[in-house]
Amino acid sequence: MKQLTELATPFASVADSTPLIGQQLPWLQSLREQATEQFKHNGLPAKKQEDWKYTSLWGLSQQAFTHTANQATVTTKQSDQLALLQDAYRVVIVDGVFSEELSTLADLPQGLTIDPLSTSIDSVEQLLGQQVDIAKPGLTALNTMLMNEGAVVSIASGVKLDKPVELLVINSGSTDNLAIHLRNIVSLAENSQATVIEHYVSMGDAGSFTNVVTEVVLAEHAELDHYKLQQESANAFHIATLAATQAESSQWRTNNISLGAKFARNDIQSRLMGEQAHTVMDGLYLVNGEQHIDNHTRIDHLVPNTTSEEVYKGVLDDNSHAVFNGKVIVHKDAQKTDANQSNRNLLLSRGCEIDTKPEMEIYADDVKCGHGSTVGQLDEEQLFFLRTRGLDAVSARSLLTYAFAVEVLERIPSEIIRQAFSVVIEQRLPRPSVAA
Amino acid sequence: MLEIKNLHASVDGKEILRGINLTVNAGEVHAIMGPNGAGKSTLSNVLAGRDGYEITQGEVIYKGENLLDLEAEERAQRGVFLAFQYPVEIPGVSNIYLLKAALNAVRQYQGLDDLDAIDFLTLVRSKMELVKMDESFLHRSVNEGFSGGEKKRNEILQMALLEPSLAILDETDSGLDIDALKIVSDGVNSLRSKDRSVVMITHYQRLLDYIVPDFVHVLSAGRIVKSGDKELAKELEKTGYSWVNETAEGQPA
Repeated sequence: MKQLTELATPFASVADSTPLIGQQLPWLQSLREQATEQFKHNGLPAKKQEDWKYTSLWGLSQQAFTHTANQATVTTKQSDQLALLQDAYRVVIVDGVFSEELSTLADLPQGLTIDPLSTSIDSVEQLLGQQVDIAKPGLTALNTMLMNEGAVVSIASGVKLDKPVELLVINSGSTDNLAIHLRNIVSLAENSQATVIEHYVSMGDAGSFTNVVTEVVLAEHAELDHYKLQQESANAFHIATLAATQAESSQWRTNNISLGAKFARNDIQSRLMGEQAHTVMDGLYLVNGEQHIDNHTRIDHLVPNTTSEEVYKGVLDDNSHAVFNGKVIVHKDAQKTDANQSNRNLLLSRGCEIDTKPEMEIYADDVKCGHGSTVGQLDEEQLFFLRTRGLDAVSARSLLTYAFAVEVLERIPSEIIRQAFSVVIEQRLPRPSVAA
Repeated sequence: MLEIKNLHASVDGKEILRGINLTVNAGEVHAIMGPNGAGKSTLSNVLAGRDGYEITQGEVIYKGENLLDLEAEERAQRGVFLAFQYPVEIPGVSNIYLLKAALNAVRQYQGLDDLDAIDFLTLVRSKMELVKMDESFLHRSVNEGFSGGEKKRNEILQMALLEPSLAILDETDSGLDIDALKIVSDGVNSLRSKDRSVVMITHYQRLLDYIVPDFVHVLSAGRIVKSGDKELAKELEKTGYSWVNETAEGQPA
């Protein structure tokens, strides 16, 4: 068997043959060199590493990917249909390349800037790479080596956005097994407020590999509602890292909805660095067939008086496999932390498998923390109740499955977004229709 | 309407119902009383079609059909309604969705079109008045966070909307304070009609002060050991169930 470091070499050689953005920038060159060193040294993460115990990148390593996209045509109409929201500041990336034509960035309000990474790379030195560690096992080092596009979103102090920003990342299917490496940066200055959606979709069922890192910085009293919706093709590999730092009294609500891809892995981290900061870290995964989804989350309470809530739910069918690992770390000085975490799973078949591990590491003594996970089937009493009201067994099951999933949306403050997500969930878990 | 003949039912090999005979004609209200463990809830569950009961003997004829051959939803579509002793909470399913889905299922069986949105809402509002529920309940998840009284009123709301031919009320009075009991009873009374039969299952006589039955039956150890009119319930209130247990044990199995 080949060494994992060896399996990583196809990627390592890409940097030599692909034109990368920002090659003239010495700081970036140096960062990329460090990342290359790290990646060559670590290789792809292996199962013997605790964070990768249940998720193997063997399949990924066996697939040849190209980093050069064929010409693709995505029409405005198609882009509208794929988007989650019609009324949003939309940034569109097609096959790893920013599309000015499909993006709607003409009339941005004062205080909001949205730029493709490719044109703003020379201005992000202070932000890029601050939230992530290229030395950690994972694909952040690879991303740092090869990142070539992404969205850089900044909200100025005191600005409250009137509508959401949707980053729509489309794989057009024009290139088989296209790999893209995206780096997004979202930064909110003091007292600002925004909603940002990362949305990953495929047209058709071509294989692909998306490797994305999103870095988020929240200044004091900033509020960000962040959503990630992953609907890539059944042949896609999707690997995402999302990391945020939160200053005093900031609020970060994030909801990670994972429906697509053959193989998906999310690493999500929040660092609460200022008092009164609050994180809501929710997620939903719906998997069937042979899908594999792994969500690793981590919340670091670093100072006193911070709070976090986390609810992850999953619905598994067929021979799918899901992994949930949620870590909450209450550091030594973080007194009066209030942290709650839960992971609930609904298993619809005998062939599916869930590995769930909620973890709390508490080094402070005056805290309120709770966590738990459940794995179960549909509730017989609820099924019987619905049948006594005339619903047939199949309808009752699908209604309860939908209801289980859609509960994750309850904490979303925006009615429009909650509605949009429930439509997406309903496409995947149809419930019996009722007259309007 | 309903004819139960020599019904025997077991759970996990243990016989709970040991030969029930009962005839309920259209328009009649029957109360079935009895001590804990007599088989009252088993009887309502067997009639509504809950899984897990083995029918070892006997039959149940409902409107000329063998009820026991039908799935729970088929019974519901044909007009059998069970009001639950412990109404089920269903997070994520709004009350209005449940009411629509249930009404559609019953109407589809009857060969009727679904009601349009306006007609549906008008109908639901009129039924909500019966049980004094305000419209905010429509958009909340089914029974989630409802008080005991609100849950029972919600059951009666569903019954009022579905207009069943046979309503089985399982311990509908349990957990109700006097005000809620009155609202629930008024709701049930307003639904009494010559075409609708009601089987009320209750441990206490109290409910029967509000919903006055035509017949009262005493169930003990899986059999009806005594039948009478509402005076029988009053007698039970005075004497308790101890004599009933003696009677039942005195009979040959």
